Amino acid sequence: MMEAAAVSVEGLVVSYGSFVAVENLSFTVKNGEIYGLLGPNGAGKTTTIKVLVGVLEPRSGKVEIYNTPLSDEVAAKSQIGYVPEEVVLLDSLTPREFLEFVTSIRRLSKDTLNSKLERYISAFELKQYFDTPIAALSMGNKQKVAIVAALLHDPKLLILDEPLIGLDARSSKILKELITFHAKKGGAVIFSTHIMEVAEKLCTKVGIINKGKIVGEGTVEDLRKLVRSAEGSLEDIFLKVTEQEAGMQDIIKALEEE
Amino acid sequence: MKFSELWRLSTTAYKEVSFQSIFSLRAGSALPQGGRRDVKQLISSAKYNTLVSKLITTLFIAIFAFVVFLPVLMGDTNLSMPLEIALPASVTAFLTVVLFLIVFMGLQVSTSFVSSKIVDVLNPLPLSKNDISKIVFLCFIRIFDIPLIAAGIVFLAVYFIIGGTILGGLLSLVSIAITEIFALTLTVFSARFFYSRVARASGRSFWQTFLRLAFMFVWILPTFAAYFVVNFAREIVQFFAYLTQGLSALSYFLVLIYPFSYGFLVSYTSFFHTTDYVTLVLSTASSVAYAVAAFYCVRWVTRTIREIGAGGIARGVREVVKDTIIRPQIPWLGIIRKDLRVASRAPSFASLFLLPVVQTAVLAVTFSSMSEIGLNAALGILIGISMITLLLPPTLLSIEGLASAYTRHLPLKKRTLVTAKALLATATYIFSLIVLSIVSLVLGKNFTLILVFGAIHGFSVSAAIMLELTILLRKLWKEGFAVGNIYSRISTYILILIPGYVMAAIPMICAIVALFVAPTFVLQVFLAAAVTEFAVMTTIVAYKE
Repeated sequence: MMEAAAVSVEGLVVSYGSFVAVENLSFTVKNGEIYGLLGPNGAGKTTTIKVLVGVLEPRSGKVEIYNTPLSDEVAAKSQIGYVPEEVVLLDSLTPREFLEFVTSIRRLSKDTLNSKLERYISAFELKQYFDTPIAALSMGNKQKVAIVAALLHDPKLLILDEPLIGLDARSSKILKELITFHAKKGGAVIFSTHIMEVAEKLCTKVGIINKGKIVGEGTVEDLRKLVRSAEGSLEDIFLKVTEQEAGMQDIIKALEEE
Repeated sequence: MKFSELWRLSTTAYKEVSFQSIFSLRAGSALPQGGRRDVKQLISSAKYNTLVSKLITTLFIAIFAFVVFLPVLMGDTNLSMPLEIALPASVTAFLTVVLFLIVFMGLQVSTSFVSSKIVDVLNPLPLSKNDISKIVFLCFIRIFDIPLIAAGIVFLAVYFIIGGTILGGLLSLVSIAITEIFALTLTVFSARFFYSRVARASGRSFWQTFLRLAFMFVWILPTFAAYFVVNFAREIVQFFAYLTQGLSALSYFLVLIYPFSYGFLVSYTSFFHTTDYVTLVLSTASSVAYAVAAFYCVRWVTRTIREIGAGGIARGVREVVKDTIIRPQIPWLGIIRKDLRVASRAPSFASLFLLPVVQTAVLAVTFSSMSEIGLNAALGILIGISMITLLLPPTLLSIEGLASAYTRHLPLKKRTLVTAKALLATATYIFSLIVLSIVSLVLGKNFTLILVFGAIHGFSVSAAIMLELTILLRKLWKEGFAVGNIYSRISTYILILIPGYVMAAIPMICAIVALFVAPTFVLQVFLAAAVTEFAVMTTIVAYKE
């Protein structure tokens, strides 16, 4: 029997009023994969991710999380751990109270939960802020709280929207290791980033979105073939695929002349 | 910098604060899915909402002015005191009401003012600290502009209708301005204290929990005081008048206290009646002292408001944390615990605590004047409690709007949400019943009817709460339950309340009909109607995904 795809997206269309943010998007993510969702600002990455986690409603298209359609909200959401791009948590709560709320909704048992939590809190050095209101935390510490909340229920699928922004080098390294470990264990990861070096090192597969459409998909090697370049970095490939390379040197020159 | 330039910059700052009051609560910074048009709608909603809020406060001020000055305006014969005695008491009562109303309004808007972090936008601009303070101060003043101006106009209008003098009018204007400055100072002081000492504090320490609870009571005081003044205007005026006529030592002491000092002075400059020049000198001296104090208050507020506008009063603190153990609950209990925690730290949600306390106070006072509690009176009281309780569900759901861009990805079932919110709102109703029973016990009244019918009506109220929540969920599940979604659409809000009120009224109507048709079955009919409603709504909610 064929293994179910972790994420299956077919013909996804999302619009904001008359503006179509995502147009006929299709991709699949399998277990063991770290799928990098790349694209310029406003390309539709975050919109796509918000649909996958049930925050946004698509206009049309089919989205399934481990064969569970998104319309079966609770079942689909139970399998996801999500870190949003802009971390807006319940600011008046402390991380302890916030995690108590999240784990209550996820029906986690305190017997198995607390030892895991202790490890994550120690890894991300959050203990000293555990009883401080989230409003008073730095952006990086808020991000860490969101990461811990995303991991506590051992989700099969991790969806991380720019998770490294605001993290210090240590936490960033730990998170990257956790992502790799998660995939090795058989889980799936969708990971959005603007840092091409990170995507190149971490992702097993990359999908490049531009103007709401996938313009390139595959391993970095596959993409090199696509742009007919044997040596280019992911950044070069990205700029070519998204048609941003043309005229860029002229723009830089013009700026330098100023 | 020129005042006109400061004013222009404060307009931008003010727009941002009023926009934040809706936008940040609407979706936890998630973009509205309707796109640009939806954002424009939000901006106009924000303008509309802030205007409505100002007009409501203005209306309250006008009503209070009317009620407080009514004995003087009508030449009340029951007052049994001359106008020159009644006027200081009325002026004192009015200034007190204005003070409390503005403080109350200020505390409500302080959340959006703090969360807007408007100073963060202004700081990088080439502006001096002094100019930034002035801009933020002007922005803060603009939140209250209409009520502040209206209070002055209403006061002057009433004063001249009574037949005041020019000098008295000028003094009235000064007294209202000083009252408003004191109100703003009190607001800023409370907000600063709340955000630096209460909201910042950990949820674990007993002392901090106690502080939060204590602050919530401080929070409700202005509302209760305002209610108290309106209902007992005549008694207060008489009481103040009695005090001022009483022992001269007490009257000398009173004239030193704000706002009595202005009450005396306005009265003197209106009628030039006094024979007691010590009172006149003391009231003049203390009025001047309060004017000087007000000047320093303005300086303090201008300085402090910048600190609040920066949102920097809640700094991150490294605390010694003993353990990292968390205690998850079953989902509905987790939601209730979260709601109570959020409400205890967010002034705009403090109404969760405010409503039951105010309604209980109202009922307790009403109750004390009744000689006997019959069926009609009991049903009337129960309608009163249920109507106020049924205002709660939209507020409770709007808490879900906080950070909804994050929390909406959680696997939350609709029925869990309805159960949690319905339990919390029903608990409010039951709490009110308990307080009412205690009051009636203290007053030696027979409370059996209220208790029996109230307990049964609890089923109906609970059903009505579930009905309101179900309608709201159906309407707003996909777009989120933020304040902006609920309160910016008055029609939606009213449409939610009507079916709730109708449902809560059905057992009452059935009982009244039974009273005429089959008087011995009133209780049974009431019980049957309430339990049927509850059963129907519970079944509907139980089958929600």
